[in-house]
Amino acid sequence: MSAAATELGAIIRRFGGDPVVDLPFWEGCRDGVFLLHTCGICHQAYWPASRCVQHGDRSMSWTRAEGKGTLYTYTVLHKAYTPAMQGKVPYVVGVIQLAEGPFFHSNVAGCAPDAVRVGMPLVARMERHDSGLIVPIFYPL
Amino acid sequence: MRGACAIVGMGVTAQGIGLDIEARELRTQAVDLALADAGVGRDAIDGYIHTYLDREDLRYMGLAPNFSLSMMTGGATPVASIIVAAAMIEAGQAELVACVYGQAQTSAAARAARGGHSIGAYSYGYASLFGLVGPAATHALHARRHMHLYGTTSRHLGAVAVTQRDYASVRPEALGYGKPITLADHQASPLIADPFRRLDCTRDTDGGCAVLVTTAARARSLNHKAVHILGAGMGHNIANWHQGRVYENHDNVAPARARAFRQAGMTIDDIHMAQLYDPFTISPLMQLEAYGFVREGHGGPFYADGGTGPDGRIPTNTGGGQLSAYYTTGFTGIIEALLQLRGQAGAGQLKRAGTALVSGHGMNAGVQNTWAHSTLILGNER
Repeated sequence: MSAAATELGAIIRRFGGDPVVDLPFWEGCRDGVFLLHTCGICHQAYWPASRCVQHGDRSMSWTRAEGKGTLYTYTVLHKAYTPAMQGKVPYVVGVIQLAEGPFFHSNVAGCAPDAVRVGMPLVARMERHDSGLIVPIFYPL
Repeated sequence: MRGACAIVGMGVTAQGIGLDIEARELRTQAVDLALADAGVGRDAIDGYIHTYLDREDLRYMGLAPNFSLSMMTGGATPVASIIVAAAMIEAGQAELVACVYGQAQTSAAARAARGGHSIGAYSYGYASLFGLVGPAATHALHARRHMHLYGTTSRHLGAVAVTQRDYASVRPEALGYGKPITLADHQASPLIADPFRRLDCTRDTDGGCAVLVTTAARARSLNHKAVHILGAGMGHNIANWHQGRVYENHDNVAPARARAFRQAGMTIDDIHMAQLYDPFTISPLMQLEAYGFVREGHGGPFYADGGTGPDGRIPTNTGGGQLSAYYTTGFTGIIEALLQLRGQAGAGQLKRAGTALVSGHGMNAGVQNTWAHSTLILGNER
């Protein structure tokens, strides 16, 4: 594993992720592409990486997604629970249903918390997180 | 299953914030109280189930069972431990099993082990990258979806908080004893994880609980206070995650409900009270719908109209629940059901208290936001 991958892996692990199987996703973010773990047989897309419910790991690979979706549900947090959110209270954490199907947690930015609505169309921008990762943050389309 | 096993003893220690009693001592006191309640000696316990993951306390407790299991499926564990106790008895591995809980969540030691945080600051994997931390935020996602789909409001959630506090306010063992709240109090309490306000949330407490499970035959020979296990079931919301329906479902109640009622040979109309796992106000509201006590989406108005009060269609969380009594991560509802079924609920005693439905809910790992669910149907007759 390259030094860059090892460093990325260490950050992923710190946030409770899998530094091996999910690594391509985070490398994709760094390179400006939104990847999803997809079954080649039924084309069901998954995030984070997992086996296909129907077909196991026979045909899983990372494929390019649009990076668009709609807001499925959200919460507005009134306390900064993590260092990255200091000075950003109140902030919105949404669950975005991606165009390809999977749910993805992220911040909804570029919009006041009280203007956020379930069902609003959103698009991802890759932005630098405090941790050093490049992460998708979602903005109104 | 129906009536094969019974609960013949219960022990409940002091419950509260800052008790300054070690967790192990709380568990041991709970066992002592349960043994005294059942009228059996320490040597009667031949099976031991420790809810949650700690080292066993058998030497300290002076017990000598044949097995000791440590169980963990989140807040579904206490109800699940009773199912496992019955299963071990039916498998011929024990005759009397103790299911035991005891935590000192507010102690300095417990807080230090969590890096100075309360339980409310648990982290859930990648979502924490975006500042989503703690069970209030994860449950808020379900509450917001319910509001979107059905028009449920913060005032509906407030009705849950007020109803449970009303129940607690007449129960001396509850933290909310003598402290009723109004809907205005709820609406004035600060937002924590929108739509949840402070009064939508539980808080950590210290305390111990134990119950003793045995065969129906042994129960008959012990005392007249046996509560019978009529049915049980489990479900896991990961099934709904795979269907993209996780946020519409608080839990995967359907398989748990079906199995429990089939075993009991009962229908929802045969249930006199519900004791539903309540970390946040949305939880009992959505479970009442999932069990079929009220139509999908109607839980909010049902609470607001008094449907869960002592004279309502289904009295729910009648001791104040974890929101207003005390938080024993799943034992609170079991203990309240036992008190009601034994006619020992004091000023909170229901007029109709022959059967109870008890649920457990918990465990949550990563972005899928899914919990385990466990169901028990209990009755004071076989």
